[in-house]
Amino acid sequence: MNRFELLNLLQNTIQEELVVCNIGLPSQELYKINDRPNYFYMLGSMGLASSIGLGLSLAIDKNVISIDGDGSVLMNMNTLATIGNRAPSNFTLLIVDNGSYGSTGDQKTFTNERTSLKDVAIGAGCKNVIECSGEETSENLKKALDDNNNSYVIISKIKPGNVPIKPIPLNAVTIRDRFRKEIGLVTYL
Amino acid sequence: MKISQKIITNLKSGGADFFLSVPCKLLANMITILENDKDIYYSAIPREEEGMGICAGAYLGNKLPCIMMQNTGIGNSVNSIVSLLQLYQMPVVFLISYRGTPGEPVGAQGGMASVTEDLLNTLRIPMLHCNTEEDLDKISTFTNHSKVIESPVAVLCNFNLMKDD
Repeated sequence: MNRFELLNLLQNTIQEELVVCNIGLPSQELYKINDRPNYFYMLGSMGLASSIGLGLSLAIDKNVISIDGDGSVLMNMNTLATIGNRAPSNFTLLIVDNGSYGSTGDQKTFTNERTSLKDVAIGAGCKNVIECSGEETSENLKKALDDNNNSYVIISKIKPGNVPIKPIPLNAVTIRDRFRKEIGLVTYL
Repeated sequence: MKISQKIITNLKSGGADFFLSVPCKLLANMITILENDKDIYYSAIPREEEGMGICAGAYLGNKLPCIMMQNTGIGNSVNSIVSLLQLYQMPVVFLISYRGTPGEPVGAQGGMASVTEDLLNTLRIPMLHCNTEEDLDKISTFTNHSKVIESPVAVLCNFNLMKDD
C-alpha cells in the first residue's frame, strides 16, 4: 500500500474531524481523492503539520488529526516531546511512514535505516503509540478518534510511491477561511 | 516583576489568550506570571519554529497567540513566518527579549542583535520598541493591531528595560 491508497482508505474513517495535512504530495493527493473544507492543506513550512494540529487541538474541543510524514517529523522532531507532554485527548498524530521524501523524488529517509519513530515517540513521552501496517491504520485511527480520554500517535508503515498530480488550485486564505468556517468562526462565506 | 506584570496585562487586554515561550532569563518573571494565570493557555516549548506552527493552529481555533522568545528565535523561524503565518495571514504577537542591546553582558549576543531589526524589516513585520516603562502602554493596541491586519507583529523589549525587573 502506498500513501495515495492509504489516504483513499481513510476517507471512510474521517468524517467531520479537522485534518491538518502535510505539505506537498500528501496534501495534493488528499485534495484529489476527496477535497473537503475540514481539510487544512499546508502549502509551506515543512515539518509543522503536527505542530499546527496540536495548536488547534489545544484551542478547540473537536477531534483534530495531523497527517504527517516521516521526513517531516524528522525535520521537527521536538514536536514529539511537546505532544508527549501537552497533547490533549482530542489530538491524533498520524505519521505516514513510507521511508522516503516522496515530494522531492523519493529519496530515502533515516526511518529506512536505524531510526524508529515509534521508539522516538515513546522516548519523547508520547502515550498510546501504535505502529501498524497501512491495512490496519483505519481501525487504529477509529480507535483513537473514539477514545475521549487519550491522545494517540499512529505510525503507518507503508511503501513509497506517488501518483501523478497537480498543485492544489486553492490559495492559502481560501483554505484558511473555509477551514475556519467549519469550526464556526467565519460567517461571511 | 512590575515591568513583566505590565507587559502581560497589556498583552491580555489587547486580546492575547494563548501563550508559548522558549526561555530567556529576561522572560523568567513573565513565565512565572503566566504559569499561574488560569485565564489563558500557557506552555513552554522546545523551539521557536515549532511554536509558530502551534500558534498557527491556535489561531485557526480562534485564539490570539503570543510567543515569547529571544530575538535569536526569529532566526530559527524565518520560513515558518513567511510560508505559514504570512502566507495564510495569521495574527501572532512575538514578544521578544532583545538580547545584545546596551546593558547586555554577553558579547556573543551582539551578532543577532545587529541583524534583528533588518530581519524584521525584510520580513515586513511591524515592530514596537519598548525602551521605557511608558512604552509598555502601547502593547495593548499593538497586540490588537496584529488581529486587525492579520499578520505577525513584534514587540521588542530592550535589555536595560528588563534587567532589573
